[in-house]
Amino acid sequence: MTRLTHHELIVFLLAISTMLIFSRVAGELGKKLRLPVVMGELLVGIILGPTILGQLFPDLFTYLFPRTGNVTFAFDGLFSLSVVMLLFVAGMEVQLPLVLKQGKVAIYTSISSMVIPFFTGFAVAWYFPSLFGQTPDSPSHLIFALFLGTALSISALPVIARILMDMNLFKTNIGMIIIASAMVNDLFGWLLFSFILSLSIHHGETMGLGYTILYILGFGIFMLTVGKRIIDKALPWVQTKLSWPGGVLSISLGVCLACAAFTESINIHAILGAFIAGIAIGDSVQLHEKAREIIHQFVTNFFAPLFFVSIGLKVNFIQNFDILIVSIVMILAFIGKVTGASLGAYWGGLKKREALVVGFGMNARGAMEIILGTLALNAGLISAPVFVALIIMALVTSLSSAPLMRKFLD
Amino acid sequence: MEQFDLSKLKGRPAFPFETIAVAISFSPRLEALLSESKRISDKLEANLILIHVGEKTPEKEARLDKLISKLRIDENKCRINWMDGDPVDTILKLCKLNVVDLLILGALSKEKLLKFYLGSIARKISRRAKCSVLLLTNPTEEANRIKRFMVCAEENPKTIHTVNTALYLAKKFNVGEISIVKEVHVPGLAMTMAEDSTAPEANRMRKNFAEADEQELHSVAEKCDKDGITIIEKVIKGKPGYTVSKYARDKKADLLILNSPDTQLGLFDRIFTHDMEYILADLPCNLLIVHSRPH
Repeated sequence: MTRLTHHELIVFLLAISTMLIFSRVAGELGKKLRLPVVMGELLVGIILGPTILGQLFPDLFTYLFPRTGNVTFAFDGLFSLSVVMLLFVAGMEVQLPLVLKQGKVAIYTSISSMVIPFFTGFAVAWYFPSLFGQTPDSPSHLIFALFLGTALSISALPVIARILMDMNLFKTNIGMIIIASAMVNDLFGWLLFSFILSLSIHHGETMGLGYTILYILGFGIFMLTVGKRIIDKALPWVQTKLSWPGGVLSISLGVCLACAAFTESINIHAILGAFIAGIAIGDSVQLHEKAREIIHQFVTNFFAPLFFVSIGLKVNFIQNFDILIVSIVMILAFIGKVTGASLGAYWGGLKKREALVVGFGMNARGAMEIILGTLALNAGLISAPVFVALIIMALVTSLSSAPLMRKFLD
Repeated sequence: MEQFDLSKLKGRPAFPFETIAVAISFSPRLEALLSESKRISDKLEANLILIHVGEKTPEKEARLDKLISKLRIDENKCRINWMDGDPVDTILKLCKLNVVDLLILGALSKEKLLKFYLGSIARKISRRAKCSVLLLTNPTEEANRIKRFMVCAEENPKTIHTVNTALYLAKKFNVGEISIVKEVHVPGLAMTMAEDSTAPEANRMRKNFAEADEQELHSVAEKCDKDGITIIEKVIKGKPGYTVSKYARDKKADLLILNSPDTQLGLFDRIFTHDMEYILADLPCNLLIVHSRPH
């Protein structure tokens, strides 16, 4: 069995410690400027990564974040675990009954805010692949077009919820419509993305397209019906008979990892299992609010910083900054999402200005887009310049959301 | 069946309950159900329509006549309808046709899993009715036992009508106090606070939400026509539907009162559980679903 050597273990622990401490400091500083925490974490990654530390102090950079050896495997495992955990807590906040409760306007908004950006992104990537460094006859042409459509149609529930909270809109009608629609966007976005990843990663393997769809749907339906009932029955026991909060924490995370392992084993990415497990556990009436908070605290304050800092370690943001790609992605993101969500809300019965508030609210992509982009980069679905463009788009849409919403609020 | 004139229903207030229908099935609980229905209709001074969907046999007729006579149901204020067809559709049509204000049904507290998904008659009617529906989980021949009223005060324009209906019933039943309960559930709150809130910030946010909810509930109580009846206000945290059901059971409520759903509920609402479905899945006590008809 390969083990980390004494020196490698020191480097591994030191690197994690650096990432956690620096990202917390940056997050707290960013908070004073009313910036999302994820922005501070990304910035730390850029500073510690090849973009800045790698240029100024290459020896220190290579010492802390070696590109070869066992430490890279350890990091890879840790970052994979982080993304699985992040998707799990994202799923925990998806509550589909809320969408049905919000009625026509939420359903119209969620459908329109997915379909219009998806086809906008897909069409541009399909008809003008050269803009993104793709060629029409490349085998990845279709997969890239599907990916760009999905990347533009996804929303970021965590950052949207935070914006609504800061604007005192959280519990208003508009706030609930935005939250409910973002939940649907996330659900279908991750389902679609898992499908695309499955197509790209396991290209040429035994599993056909039909089986992939069947497995995704089958697993989702099973977990949200039978699985949810089992969880409903088990959670009261777990929360009262086992140690608190250790019992609920380890069982919930255990279920998440088991589901992630299962989806990975059937050639669908592990994130889907984690996300669906999150929905099944988070939607349970038996899950105590305190338990929910503890799971969130654990994941958000340990795994999230490691994951978001690691993004900056992977890519040189200056070298891969392409103004054309950034501009195109930005324009498509704004046009597709704001138009789609606003039209949906308007068709659903909101007034024009309210519909625009919903449109700009839904436009915040935040952490979800960054996770999506990172997974796509790791899977070789996108190039580094497209990845950088997606990260910039995620940050700009998140930062611009609140001021643009305020413009249309009465 | 004759063509129905919808204008008779549109804008009709949620109460008083002038016409009460009772769906009867000749089960062992028939006498208790009729006895309870008679008591309610007497208190509300309402006309009674007995509906049976199924074959009309001399035995059934004789049993019903005997019960009507035993329970001293005023035959001038009572009518029996023997109908054929699908029980749910037939009962609902008849209720519309007769401008029924309240439909009384006997219901089991809990359905088996498959039946819950497929739907029993009582629950199917509750999901679709265009009039108020009273589900009696344990009808009895004893004198009035319905004393503890609990109203689920969700954020909905219909709630004020529902609370007023509860007050109207409380007055008729000589109940001096009712509880109105607001369930608070903020999806995404845990996630939002986990990221970048200090402990005082998180506490302040929670406190603000709690105060706003208490204020909203109080304003509902203030707008109601109390007429000497005390309203106890209570805000509870948890998933809507499930939480109020559990609270009603814990507090041993006799009657849980809630708004009718905004749309007809279907199978989808049982899978992605609608608030009301949590209550229907395991009735904590008698349940009154108040249907406020739009103007």
